[in-house]
Amino acid sequence: MTFFGWVFMLVSWGLILTLAAVCFSRVLKKKKID
Amino acid sequence: MAKKRDTWGSRLGIIMAVAGSAVGLGNFLRFPVQAAQNGGGAFMIPYFIALLLVGIPIMWVEWAIGRYGGGFEHSTAPGAFHSIWEKNRFIKYFGIIGIFGPLVILIYYTYIESWCLAYSFFALVQKYSGIIDQSKMQAFLRGFQGLERNQFFTSIAPAYVFFIITFLINMAVLVYGIRGGIEKFCKWAMPVLFVFAIILAVRVLSLGTPDVSKPAWNISNGLGYLWNPDLSQLKNAKIWLAATGQIFFTLSVGIGVILTYASYLKKGDDVALSGLTAVSMNEMAEVVLGASIVIPAAFVFFGPMMIGKIASAGAFDLGFVTMPLIFGHMPFSEILGFLWFGLLFLAGVTSSVSLAQPAIAFLEDEFNITRQKAVAVFAAVTFALCNGAIFFLGRGVVDELDFWGGTFCLVLFATVEVILFGWVFGIEKAWEEVHHGADMRIPNFYKYIIKYVTPVFLLAVLGAWFIQKWLPIIRMDGVSGANRPYIMATRVGLSLLFLVLAIMVKVAWGRRERSGRRAR
Repeated sequence: MTFFGWVFMLVSWGLILTLAAVCFSRVLKKKKID
Repeated sequence: MAKKRDTWGSRLGIIMAVAGSAVGLGNFLRFPVQAAQNGGGAFMIPYFIALLLVGIPIMWVEWAIGRYGGGFEHSTAPGAFHSIWEKNRFIKYFGIIGIFGPLVILIYYTYIESWCLAYSFFALVQKYSGIIDQSKMQAFLRGFQGLERNQFFTSIAPAYVFFIITFLINMAVLVYGIRGGIEKFCKWAMPVLFVFAIILAVRVLSLGTPDVSKPAWNISNGLGYLWNPDLSQLKNAKIWLAATGQIFFTLSVGIGVILTYASYLKKGDDVALSGLTAVSMNEMAEVVLGASIVIPAAFVFFGPMMIGKIASAGAFDLGFVTMPLIFGHMPFSEILGFLWFGLLFLAGVTSSVSLAQPAIAFLEDEFNITRQKAVAVFAAVTFALCNGAIFFLGRGVVDELDFWGGTFCLVLFATVEVILFGWVFGIEKAWEEVHHGADMRIPNFYKYIIKYVTPVFLLAVLGAWFIQKWLPIIRMDGVSGANRPYIMATRVGLSLLFLVLAIMVKVAWGRRERSGRRAR
């Protein structure tokens, strides 16, 4: 895999996992974020 | 007297159910095949753009329309659409697509789901463990499907038995309703599914270079097949269409099931954060786990030359022919095979119960019958219809059902609901509706995306698909003379099914008006 391939994959995974973690933590806390 | 409507027991419950509906066979089979067939890294860029411009906005729209319709005791699209556009007498008939589409998908999906159950059993009892080449594994699958009699199977009976078991499991979940059946099932099935997927992904990613005589056939290059970006391919319209299509399939948007699930929310329940959470869960299953199992594993065992050929053979060949052969190369192949097909089976059931729910909810709400009676009527009708997919699989019936239910209806329904919500309901009111009780503030630019970008994107996709794919399919180009009568019969059957649903909508609205309930 090329360097850009690694970057693309890891950034994509990172963003998705971060989104999931943030969403779930807010759902579980029922936190309002306005 | 109108009976009390079912509701979700918890917020996590509806998120698990919506994510369960979205996470299906498509995440682990269709996605890697689509990515591999459409240039790997080149596919991923339009995929993420379509996710942001089409997938996430439609998800929010569907959640909001569903909750709004639920406020008028409508759990399905005919009622929800009519609640939004009261003055239009015909809009409820467009809503039929939200019952018809999932029903058509369910007819063949349950059968495919039953193959997963059967293969997980076959893996444990080592029924296919001695098979080491592609053609024999193919024969095993064809024998099981009843497409030929061979050394492995002499009739379709085993497949039919597994289909009945699968069908009964689905009905058993459905009969207990939203809170007691679907929610309970999804709350344990989804974590189990993720555990299975994580075990398989870790196993595949730790394969390294299984054959030292072929050092280039390694996991890093297997991942590179999917992730090395190829920007030159971005001018290719086919890749954009494939990526948008995958977003529809994977998120279960444009089908009508999310609308139905969201109708069981209360007025003050959040849809913005819940919708986004379900999307994130689906993307974890697809982009992180789905992308790390099939293609990298096939790459290290079959090499870069074969992978294109394997992908072009389609998702079923990849899942039911190539994957068992790959696991055959590894220690504990029976356990890995069981986990793989068990994963697909759980993903399948959480999706198929969602596909069944709109039709059952329609019977319950609009004809005021009990859950048990609605499930019984639904089971009798769908069991009969599924037999067409089982016995005429080799005649192209499943592909035909997939085109109308899983492609045509999907894009059409999404286009109608986005225009209805953003233009007829009005974007200001729509924006307020999405944010009612919301636990997050959606960025303001999404207001313009929902109003302008998503409908234009969908109309462009509809137009391009019409030119590229629909006309040849409608004309039955490439269909053999022997199969044409079966395809025609399927089309006539689907038209009759739609007509029956249209009559039922007309009757239901007449009953509502006569009984003095608000027709809205």
